[in-house]
Amino acid sequence: MNLKDLSLIDLAKAIKERKISSYDATKYYIEKCKENAHLNAILEIYDDALENAKIMDEKIANGFEGKLAGVPVVIKDNILYKGKIASCSSKFLENYVAQYNADVVTKMLDAGAVIIGRANMDEFAMGSSTENSAFGITKNALDESRVPGGSSGGSACAVAAGMCPVALGTDTGGSIRQPSSYNGVVGIKPTYGRVSRYGVVAFASSIEQVGPITKNVKDNAYMLEVLSGGSEHDETSLKMDSCNFLLQIKGDIKGLKVGVLKEIEDAVKGLEVEKAYNDAKEFLANNGAQIIETSIPDFKLALPCYYIIAPAEATSNLGRFDGVKYSKRSQNAKDVDEIYIKSRSEGFGKEVKRRIMLGNFVLSSGYFDAYYNKAKKLQQKLKNEAKTVFEKCDVFILPTTTGEAFKIGEKMGDPVSMYKEDLFTILTNILGTPSISIPFGKGKNGLPLGLQIIADNLNEGVIYNVADFIEQNLREV
Amino acid sequence: MSKTKITIEEVKRLADLSALEFTDEELASFIPEFENILHLVDEVKNCDVGDGQIDYPKHLLCSLRDDQVKESLPQEEILKNSPKTKKGSFCVPKMLD
Amino acid sequence: MQDFDIVIGLEVHSELKTNSKVFCSCANKFGQAPNTNCCPVCVGLPGALPVLNKKAVELVIKAGLTMDCEINDLAVFERKNYFYPDLAKAYQISQLVRPICIGGHIDLKDKSVRLNRIHLEEDAGKLVHGTQAIGTLIDYNRGGVPLMELVTEPDISSAEEAVEFLTNLRQKLIYAGVAECKMEQGGMRCDVNVSVKPKGSDKLGQRTEMKNLNSFKSVFRAINYEANRQMEVLRNGGKIIQETRKWDDNHGKSISMRKKETSSDYRYFPDPDLLAVEIPREDVETIKKSLPLMPDQLKSIYMNEYGLSEYESDILTKDKELSDYFNEVVEHFNNPKEVTNWILTEVLNRIKDEESAEIKISPCDLAKLLKLVEDKKVTRTNAKEMLTRIWENDENISSLEKEYGGRVDGEELKSIVEKIIANNSKAVEDYHTSDTPEKVFRWFTGQVMKETKGKANAQKAEEYIKELLK
Repeated sequence: MNLKDLSLIDLAKAIKERKISSYDATKYYIEKCKENAHLNAILEIYDDALENAKIMDEKIANGFEGKLAGVPVVIKDNILYKGKIASCSSKFLENYVAQYNADVVTKMLDAGAVIIGRANMDEFAMGSSTENSAFGITKNALDESRVPGGSSGGSACAVAAGMCPVALGTDTGGSIRQPSSYNGVVGIKPTYGRVSRYGVVAFASSIEQVGPITKNVKDNAYMLEVLSGGSEHDETSLKMDSCNFLLQIKGDIKGLKVGVLKEIEDAVKGLEVEKAYNDAKEFLANNGAQIIETSIPDFKLALPCYYIIAPAEATSNLGRFDGVKYSKRSQNAKDVDEIYIKSRSEGFGKEVKRRIMLGNFVLSSGYFDAYYNKAKKLQQKLKNEAKTVFEKCDVFILPTTTGEAFKIGEKMGDPVSMYKEDLFTILTNILGTPSISIPFGKGKNGLPLGLQIIADNLNEGVIYNVADFIEQNLREV
Repeated sequence: MSKTKITIEEVKRLADLSALEFTDEELASFIPEFENILHLVDEVKNCDVGDGQIDYPKHLLCSLRDDQVKESLPQEEILKNSPKTKKGSFCVPKMLD
Repeated sequence: MQDFDIVIGLEVHSELKTNSKVFCSCANKFGQAPNTNCCPVCVGLPGALPVLNKKAVELVIKAGLTMDCEINDLAVFERKNYFYPDLAKAYQISQLVRPICIGGHIDLKDKSVRLNRIHLEEDAGKLVHGTQAIGTLIDYNRGGVPLMELVTEPDISSAEEAVEFLTNLRQKLIYAGVAECKMEQGGMRCDVNVSVKPKGSDKLGQRTEMKNLNSFKSVFRAINYEANRQMEVLRNGGKIIQETRKWDDNHGKSISMRKKETSSDYRYFPDPDLLAVEIPREDVETIKKSLPLMPDQLKSIYMNEYGLSEYESDILTKDKELSDYFNEVVEHFNNPKEVTNWILTEVLNRIKDEESAEIKISPCDLAKLLKLVEDKKVTRTNAKEMLTRIWENDENISSLEKEYGGRVDGEELKSIVEKIIANNSKAVEDYHTSDTPEKVFRWFTGQVMKETKGKANAQKAEEYIKELLK
């Protein structure tokens, strides 16, 4: 059986029907990981993966059924899998062994998944290129001189290079969608609260979500169904069961109301992504969708808003890494204060420190109201503006990035230009609404560009329908 | 609009709050970068949000967790990743109380 | 010499009486082996998230209702950020902008002390400072135990008032079932803010704070010491610096703690892991209805309905266990005055002698005993003896009743008296000739009691003796 072109859904079916064993499939993907070691997408292949695959084969033989029965999966290095290292690509947590399972890990294991390894990322998910990993940069699966995007760069690269049929990422400001776009794969940031965050090392709690990265849209819908559902461990998870998103894929977008933002028309002018974005509008219109001009007037403020809220939360979330309970303790510390200061100064990378400092700036007395409180009010204003969009439209579209993947090292010296990488993705983290990135068009070097489809809260089904329609029909344009 | 400037003292205060330390060379490159970032976030400081209210995500008292005890983790599991433990406890150099 | 007014504000932390911790399901239990009541949440492991305990919120509402606080319809939880080894997450989940309770008051004998607020927060772990070689050990068992923090307005003006306030507060919390306030276990701790100002001035002086005082006695001593210290400084032309001072109970003095100025910038912001809690009016009403009677309410029932004295009522309501006990006895034996007499003498004396708070007779048995006395089935003297045997040997009241029960009375008693008088002619003679006939009379009654094993109707026996000795 040729696993290379098999989708996640087909692989799950083949294993279920015992046309291929979980063991063979797992072995195949592990070999692919090893073949692609030079991409540095995978930090560790778990040594018990094959053994677990064997156990799954037995279970399947005994009638076990699960959506992921025997299916190999890769997780991002900030998701806890009990007994395995979860380092967040940080020197500080290099040897941190998870003491419990993240809810998403539990859900995948319950569905029968074989978790084969953990993927590289920007340290603590802070970055847009995976260059901030303490364990080396990951290369773009399609052009090794370029970044894979970030922070879930390892996950997106692994899927694109065929090292796994699905990988989990986390998305705080675009960290699933931007690398998906750069590697030509499909990634979704679900509605805030759709997926439990329990056991996912927190960066910016109020805006981040776990989501799947897959080769195609249906696989993505299939996987999100496994991950979704409220959890008693996460107050911010929505108290509702998962749902079958595949059922909402209807192969038709006639009459669909697609919003395009006035602000984007200006923002894309002269950008590499301009043509692809305009093509997308045309494609949707040509296929029966109704294009509606609409507006989120404060769109551009989403980016600075994010760079207040996210660092503020991160500062507080990262306080627990102090060299006392589990992170690496500095050898040079003589007292408690030095344990804190030296362990953290030695353990954290530059970008992480920058954001901790920024977070403390916006939270500290004298600045709190001008920055943090103002940003929260702005967030509410943006939500209100989006509400008027969804009163008129089923979805709206945005480019995922300004262009194709940039060169390794190109933006490392300039944090602000790196931050602006997230210009188009950050909005939905601030809004909480679901957003997918699917490949759409090519850049000037023939590398993929991405298109985001955004719907109101809990309307992932609508998103998947549009995304799948585009994926199925785009070739014919 | 004038760019927010940041002084060495301010940076040191933030470092103190952050439990971080920087060498002089690190500080020299840190400050201009940080000012650029502040320039970015100042767009929020200077924007108009009207009499904006913050809408807290909320739930009802009755939907909260019931007061039931569940099993804790074993002590050795709790201490497993600690750089230093003694007598079933996490351990740091002696502090003055 | 210049006179001063003392101005005191208190911040009181009480551990709430819940089964589980405030943000996780670990047991809220004192005295366990270190780090055995811990989970990812209360040790602050990466990825762990807090989930709020409903009971903890309800208990704070309860506390607030006993002090006439306003209950906020929306309570928000914030993070208070600072580094300290007992704080696993490097932030404490607390409340700043929208606490559960606002305002309220506690009434003392001579004044009403206004409350600023009551909020819910989590306790920190415990540090054990060993030798240089051992270092400081951290135990997170207490981390995440629910704490209510009550903050007063600066309405208290003496150490005596502060202690009266705390006594009153403690009594309320115990009565309402909110907290056990076990001071020796750190279940109730107090931060004291003290300042002094020239007598009559309405301008507050600079204040100092002493944290974590864990007995009423140290609160009392700390306030007096600190107020005197401040007055001394001012009289000598000095200035009070706003600071946190450490109370050294062993040496009876407060010491300045030099702290970095940044440590007070806690960078509070709403905890993004927790939702705000909406508290509907109906829920508050339900909780209100579930409140047991508070000591002042009980006191007024005891005095107005039961006719007890203020002194008696005070003693009975000082301790919830005692008033619960009293109420239960009265429920089975509806003579509050008689129950009070027995409790205040027989029961409390025994407790005082034993230095143990345990009442070793069930309310039900005490009620039965009093009923036996009332129905004249046993004599008062015998009832006391029965009580002793129940108290000391946990004997069964029904079998004791068989032993002691049945009164010797009437003709039976009269013939016994006759017999005793006939057999003791010498004593009869003594009675008539002695300067102190009452002594001889008492000897006769003693003989009657001995003969009847204490079951004689004492009053009747005396009548018969008197009559036959004529």
